[in-house]
Amino acid sequence: MYINRALVLLIGLAIIFFPTIAEWITNGDTTWYRPYQLWLLVVIAAYWNQRTRYPDEL
Amino acid sequence: MSFSLLQILGCIVLYLTVLFTVALVAERGWLPRRIARHPAVYVLSLGVWAGAYAIYGVSELAILHGYNFLLYYLGVVLMFVLGTLFLQPLLRISRVYQLSSVADLLTFRFRSDGVGAAITVAMCITVLPLLALQIQAVADSIHVLAGDREYLLSGPARHDGLAFLFCFIITIFALLFGTRSHPQHPRNEGLVVAIAFESLVKLICLLGVMVGAVYGAFGGFEGMNAWLAESKAARDVLETPVRGELARGLLLVFFTGAVAMPHIFHMAFAENTDSRHLRAATWGMPLYLLLLSIPVLPTAWAAMKMEQPFPLDYSVLGVGLSLQNSSLSVAAFVAGLSAASATIIVTTLALANMILKHLVLPRQILSIDRNQSIYRQLAWLRRALITALILGGYLFFRIVSGHQSLTHLALVAFAGTLQFLPGIVATLYWPSANRSGLLCGLAAGLGVWFVMLLLPMVMVSEAAFATQLQQQWFGASEHPWVGPTTASLALNCVVFVLVSLVTRTSEDEQVAAEICSMDDLSRPVRHSLVFGSCDEFIQALSTSLGETTARNEVQRALRELQFDADETRPYALRRLRARIEANLSGLLGPAVAHDIINRSIPLAANTGTEDINLIERNLERAQVHFTGLAADLDNLRRHYRQILNNLPVGVCSLGADGEILLWNRNMELTTGIAAHDVLGSHLDSLATPWGEVIGNFSRDPAETALRREVTDDTGASRWISLHKTPEGLAESGEDRVLLMEDITDAQRMEQDLLHNERLASIGRLAAGVAHEVGNPITGIACLAQNLEYEDDLGEIRHTATDILKQTDRVTRIVESLVNFSHVGSSSGDLNLTPCNVADCVDEATSLLALDSSARPVRFLNDCDRETLVLADSQRLLQVFLNLLGNARDASEDHGDIRISENRMPGAVQIHFDDQGSGIPPAVQSRVFEPFYTTKDPGEGTGLGLALVYSIIEDMGGAISLTSPTLPNQAGGTRFTLQLPETSYEALLDSQSAAAENARLEP
Repeated sequence: MYINRALVLLIGLAIIFFPTIAEWITNGDTTWYRPYQLWLLVVIAAYWNQRTRYPDEL
Repeated sequence: MSFSLLQILGCIVLYLTVLFTVALVAERGWLPRRIARHPAVYVLSLGVWAGAYAIYGVSELAILHGYNFLLYYLGVVLMFVLGTLFLQPLLRISRVYQLSSVADLLTFRFRSDGVGAAITVAMCITVLPLLALQIQAVADSIHVLAGDREYLLSGPARHDGLAFLFCFIITIFALLFGTRSHPQHPRNEGLVVAIAFESLVKLICLLGVMVGAVYGAFGGFEGMNAWLAESKAARDVLETPVRGELARGLLLVFFTGAVAMPHIFHMAFAENTDSRHLRAATWGMPLYLLLLSIPVLPTAWAAMKMEQPFPLDYSVLGVGLSLQNSSLSVAAFVAGLSAASATIIVTTLALANMILKHLVLPRQILSIDRNQSIYRQLAWLRRALITALILGGYLFFRIVSGHQSLTHLALVAFAGTLQFLPGIVATLYWPSANRSGLLCGLAAGLGVWFVMLLLPMVMVSEAAFATQLQQQWFGASEHPWVGPTTASLALNCVVFVLVSLVTRTSEDEQVAAEICSMDDLSRPVRHSLVFGSCDEFIQALSTSLGETTARNEVQRALRELQFDADETRPYALRRLRARIEANLSGLLGPAVAHDIINRSIPLAANTGTEDINLIERNLERAQVHFTGLAADLDNLRRHYRQILNNLPVGVCSLGADGEILLWNRNMELTTGIAAHDVLGSHLDSLATPWGEVIGNFSRDPAETALRREVTDDTGASRWISLHKTPEGLAESGEDRVLLMEDITDAQRMEQDLLHNERLASIGRLAAGVAHEVGNPITGIACLAQNLEYEDDLGEIRHTATDILKQTDRVTRIVESLVNFSHVGSSSGDLNLTPCNVADCVDEATSLLALDSSARPVRFLNDCDRETLVLADSQRLLQVFLNLLGNARDASEDHGDIRISENRMPGAVQIHFDDQGSGIPPAVQSRVFEPFYTTKDPGEGTGLGLALVYSIIEDMGGAISLTSPTLPNQAGGTRFTLQLPETSYEALLDSQSAAAENARLEP
């Protein structure tokens, strides 16, 4: 079975930091669009991850 | 402010007409292809995920549970960001095997039409709440716009004819959208573009509503922030923690829904034509959902501030009405209408295909008339099913309408599709899973879901009982759906695993599991086919599909594979078979397609070795994915492959059925046939003369064929030697390896050397010839002088007779020399005729006698005067000369050299015995090697015995050496030749044939 190691690392980090991130987002002192900023970072990371891939290999 | 029903219905028809026009424009190709095929269009079409719930229902979640509403989107975002985990491998399988639904996928993996039927039935039941949700959302939003607030608040009165009218309209458009595309087209371009357009419309509408609501209610975003800072209720909701059972439950169901829901599966996989588009979606879809979710909170806060009177589900609509802004209301309504119509159209289309492929066709509920176009019949069946499904959704809506919120309907539907998650995960990651486990697990999970979630929804009288059960089993909870949902999934998984472990997995399932597993390096199997051409394929498929459809499908597969219609290569035909099955799978479902192909184009029995060509092709394609040890292994493979390819001898590997698996560069150079033309072909299909030469050799029991002459179409000759793996290995099913050595240059050099050697012999004989010719000439001169003075007629006649005798002697000597000089000069062509051994020996000894400088020996010819062998007389003379010359050189002065023969069945052995010093055992193995000699420098070329060996091999004989001649004797050498025996009858036949030829020649 072939699973990308970077992916495993990403999932591990997400599991570890999810409670912290969730608490940080729902902190009443912050701006309401904070989750969207974080979301945008995820979009940028996903874009970065797929940009140097290969032609249609199917 | 309110709208009339006529205005609202007009709006619906107008919007759907615009949508249909967009689809038509795309389908007719009026939209530039670069736009229609742009990845952004594919990404937007995935926006079908966001149905009416994303427009209306999410507001309720946001108002009640704060940021937890984001989990509706984040489940999908997670699925796309982790695309390599599920989506990309699913796309690979779906596109290669034309699978367009979860039922197709699981049927393909578990090799059972029963699985397909079960999944289809389960999917239809679990998706009913989702269809009802869309209908309810549109019907309710019409009431909101019409100002019928009471209808919404007093539930049972809500199901009026409006919902049915909407269903009727959407059915017409679903039929127009879903069944227009020809089944042979891989993508329904009109549908994709139309759904992308819908996604764009709902995004723009929602963003517009947000801006309008914020400026209308707060005077701008700064005002909204100020209000938020002051509103404790809003801030308290925002601070609701994103954890606990609600967060877990939401994330789980929406994560799974992103791959298990039929409409998203259809758009993501069935309508995908390029894997790069899915990679674009790994960031494009999260971005789209980010934009779609931004308006939710500001709009909800505006509704809170305006204290709009409608249920929380419809706060987006209510804001516009409260602000008396008709544009906002219409935009919100169009967004909801757009989302609902897209979901209904794609979901029913996907479900109709599933029912068709897994229930109608395999169970033969409706028979197909093979004399008519199958495509048209399938289209009509699909239309009927779409109508029935929308009607089913409407009936479900009628049953539950007024009792359930949009959120409840959505959660029940998503919790139902959650039960397909174990099957999907096992398809990719667990090869040991089997169909018994899948069906048992699914039954258990769906059973819990049905009793605890669906039943209370449709039967109000059972709701109390279900609530009691929920509380007993899962305790009192604020979110009672989470416990049953989690429990159903857990039970599903446990039963699935246990049953799979204790029951047997069929061979079919194991093969499919390998194909589906995440390991890209599945092991393709090379089966032999019973049929050998495309026409035979068409003929065989005609019985199942009808001739027209069979021809269409074969031609379509040929076109897709870029093969010619006269293709006969086994490798190509295997790929053609697989492609036809994949295409039929897209048309009729994997179970029916597999059955038709197995029945119509069967595989030969007892075949099935690894398909090396396909494995190499897959490896070449997948090279970029290898890392670590896998990359090292691949590099090693390439290294050895290169060595094999660059070997200075031709290497050809053959399957047990004669299929060519390897054809290296040297083979290309020698034969002039490129590897890509022959790989995967049958040996017999090779171009002339190579097919015959290599084919005959591969069937010949001999493992070696030396010095074989091959003449091509242009008349040019090549000389080759062939070798192959021992027969025993081939019999055990192993591939055979055949080596071919091009010895043309060596052969030509050898012939040159042979000629030179002969000239050298002639030179050596020249002195003797001069002496032998000189004696009779002197005699003739003396006799001629005597004639001058002779008057007696009797004496003159006597003298003339003597002169003639001397002349005959000269003639014989010259003829022998001329004969000898001609040997081998005819470019190696053999002329096998019956030869008298004794006469040939005599001639050889006569020639040797001409060499006056040679050692005086006695030649004893004991050969039977009747014995004939089949040989080339000139070459045989050369052989005898060389052997007798060597024997003379090895003998003592006045020694005897005996030539004898003995007959064997079909052959004659000719022995040459000398009484010389013999040949030491260490040297015996080398005497036939070229340039090996034991004579002094200048006395021998070392080519004599090598030539003898070569000539005897060419004539189909054998030569051996015995030294010493007798076991207890010190010296003596015996060379034994073995040649095929022939008879005088054969001699006469050959002579009469020669005479006939001479007569015919001008």
